[in-house]
Amino acid sequence: MSRIPWPPILGFGAIVLLAVLAPVLPLPDPVTMDVAHRLAGPSLAHWLGQDEFGRDVLTRLLWGARVSLSVAFAASAIACVAGVALGVAGGFLRGIVEILALRSIDVLLCFPPLLLALLVVTLAGPGAATLVPVLALVYLPGFTRVAYAGVLTARSQDYVEAMRVLGAGKGRIMLRTILPNIGGPVLVQFSLSAAAAVVLESGLSFLGLGVVPPAPSWGLMIGAARATMTQAPLLLLWPCAALTLTILAMNALCDGLRDAVDPHPAYRPPGRRWLDRLTPGLLPATRAVLDLRGLTVRIDTPDGHFEPVRDVTLHIDAGETLALVGESGSGKSLTSLAISGLLPGAARVVAGSARLDGTDLLALPEEALRRLRGGAMAMIFQDPSSSLNPVHRVGEQIAEAIRAHRPKAPAATEAITLLKRVGIPDPAARARAFPHELSGGMRQRVMIAIAIANAPRLLIADEPTTALDVTIQAQVLDLLADLKRERGLALLFVTHSLPVVAEIADRVAVMYAGEIVEQGATAEVFARPLHPYTAALLRSAPDEEGPPPEGIPGVVPPPFDLPKGCVFAPRCVHRAPACDAARPKLATLPDGRQTSCLRWREL
Amino acid sequence: MAWLLRRVGISLALIWVVASIVFLAIHLVPGDPAELLLSQGGASPDPAIVADLRDQLGLNRPILVQYADSLWRLLHFDLGHSMQDDSPVGDEIARRLPRTLELIVAAAILAVVVGIPAGTVAATRRGSVFDRIAGWLAGLSLAVPVFVVGTLLVMVFAQWLRWVPAGGYVAFATDPARHLLLLSMPAITIGLGLAAVMFRMTRAAVLDVMLKDYVRTARAKGVAPRRVLVRHVVRTALMPVVTVLALHMGTLLGGTVLVEYVFNWPGLSGLLVSAVNGRDYPEVVGIVLVISILFVALNLAVDILYGLLDPRVRRG
Repeated sequence: MSRIPWPPILGFGAIVLLAVLAPVLPLPDPVTMDVAHRLAGPSLAHWLGQDEFGRDVLTRLLWGARVSLSVAFAASAIACVAGVALGVAGGFLRGIVEILALRSIDVLLCFPPLLLALLVVTLAGPGAATLVPVLALVYLPGFTRVAYAGVLTARSQDYVEAMRVLGAGKGRIMLRTILPNIGGPVLVQFSLSAAAAVVLESGLSFLGLGVVPPAPSWGLMIGAARATMTQAPLLLLWPCAALTLTILAMNALCDGLRDAVDPHPAYRPPGRRWLDRLTPGLLPATRAVLDLRGLTVRIDTPDGHFEPVRDVTLHIDAGETLALVGESGSGKSLTSLAISGLLPGAARVVAGSARLDGTDLLALPEEALRRLRGGAMAMIFQDPSSSLNPVHRVGEQIAEAIRAHRPKAPAATEAITLLKRVGIPDPAARARAFPHELSGGMRQRVMIAIAIANAPRLLIADEPTTALDVTIQAQVLDLLADLKRERGLALLFVTHSLPVVAEIADRVAVMYAGEIVEQGATAEVFARPLHPYTAALLRSAPDEEGPPPEGIPGVVPPPFDLPKGCVFAPRCVHRAPACDAARPKLATLPDGRQTSCLRWREL
Repeated sequence: MAWLLRRVGISLALIWVVASIVFLAIHLVPGDPAELLLSQGGASPDPAIVADLRDQLGLNRPILVQYADSLWRLLHFDLGHSMQDDSPVGDEIARRLPRTLELIVAAAILAVVVGIPAGTVAATRRGSVFDRIAGWLAGLSLAVPVFVVGTLLVMVFAQWLRWVPAGGYVAFATDPARHLLLLSMPAITIGLGLAAVMFRMTRAAVLDVMLKDYVRTARAKGVAPRRVLVRHVVRTALMPVVTVLALHMGTLLGGTVLVEYVFNWPGLSGLLVSAVNGRDYPEVVGIVLVISILFVALNLAVDILYGLLDPRVRRG
């Protein structure tokens, strides 16, 4: 648990403390009547006044808290123990136990909670003794579900498997590994149930079906005060306020606990982009379709910020394919998203320019950038199964791209032509299919059809073949290569796969830990790498003839904890003292190749 | 089609289980219904009269015969007669159910009209003043129990301001304007909490969907922001919201008890409370069964609606 929600804990703690201390506080007895002073207003002896039988309202409020909270806690505790036991047993023992546990919960859920409570009250009669088991029954399913889901997740995890392999008994595995893991969600569920139980208890008491008079209960007090609403409105307001404040405190506690248990860090809205446009491109545009200079992307977190992409410079000419290659986490996808202005919320560009035919994309307002996206600049993403909207037909999704840029075009017919162009048989019928009705390769072809719908100048393909199997991969690569030749596209191909790079790219830029470490023509870089990382990457790639692949020792440094010198130095076998002294710059060689390795000459 | 049949089959099985459980509950709980019914007032009833009533209620037959009989009658929509006035339970339920449903539907419409747009706006302007105020209001609406809201509304609008009557019911056919006026207060009372739920669900779902790959694709296509929001985000985000709405409406089938009581609205739930108080077993059982069946049917309807909204489900 990272952040403990102190304010709601303290607020709710104060309420609990008052309830616990009610008997020892110097207060009148909660059930002693004083009919002579019925409905008396606030006085020194009775701070909040007296009720319809002359009883002290403040005392009854505090004793009411005792009743409400003890009923709610007792019921939630029973539901928690029984529900978790049922869920854990169902999830862990499986078989018939699993079916029985889950089905019985489904049946319980067939009754609306209040209805279930009323049914039991009919059979067993009202009173606190009935309320506790009733409420426990109502909140049991929630605990079972949470525990069951937790066990399902934990069951498949490596350490649970490991314990099983080591011969630990089922009971021990449950106690040692699973219960601590579901602790957080169960705690949240407990707070939710307790808060809901306070509401349900007061509601039942209000109807006269819960706590039996003369015992004090907020629900009973509200019910009774309704009769004297016109003479003594305050009498109605006190228990309403007490009940509402208690539930507010409990709900705040639930939210706080949920946030504390949630592993995802809190979101922080990104800064305004116009504030960050501090480094405009000073150099004149070249003939490149895409000219990216000094791109730096920053991610803000609650604990500060880091830069997963730093000073990336590259260019792509018309009809050329540049592969941006690197391990996962090297910043290659963020680079491509930054160019298209589709960075996720927490990330933003803090420096650099990206000129598309001379226009700086990074300086454009969102609306102008939108007109370029899908028009002059198109994108294909990694996973075609999640990148297409599951609820719209694929033809419609292609047509939407056409209409976004050319509202008057015959979009539906063009969509079919495009499907045909990307090699989908029977395109007219397939246009009416939903994404889930197509194979992975077909879906990626649809994505490509969307991308080329408005004849883009630049096509950014982010791992377009990674999610596909090998034969489909080759077909999609062929299609992209064809399109590039046919239309003179500039293709930025982001990938981690060297065989794919060899197959499609004219030039390659190698990224490592957020920086480009080497750049050059594909054949030359593959034949004679000028950076130890490229060399290591090539050795680690599987090859049919050569020696078996070697792994690269060590791991990529996290972007928030980079070495002071060369980012690859900690893993480099050729590391020299100079490498650790300062971060080396990308150097351009006479033949146009680039490397950031200080020792490229010697190696 | 097979998918649909399977869902209907499961629902029918659930209804059978529910009916059996209600039957079992009545018969397994200690205490004799006949004796309980006659023992009001504290004195022990005459054994001869108890035996007579047991016979009259068919409680002397073997339990399996009673079980089969109750299921058989349920199949014919025969819910028996009230113990209090011997009127057919089914008729009274049929008269009162539409009033409860009307209340729930009116509240749901209010909740949808307020909650979904507010949730969408809050999600798209996350962290804005609107988002914070709406979130705070939703939190407050969720914290105030429904009978407290109802009671306070009566106090303010009926007692102090005298804008509306404190409660009651007039048939729509008799006086449409007054019917709607009387409907407004209980509907607002229920709708307030439901709108808060809708707001929170919509906000969370929209935030969630905005991060989906296909929304990025839509933006990558250069689709205008409003269209991305309506066609790609809200359309998908509404699916969990619709489910939650339907589930809450189901819960309300039994949960309008408090509001009907506060506003003196003669719905099904009010009948249930008086039946519970009077230990009228046939009436309680009848109402519980009807509501549970409606609840199951509503869940089935949600599943079918889900299939219409999301083409992937139809195959699963």
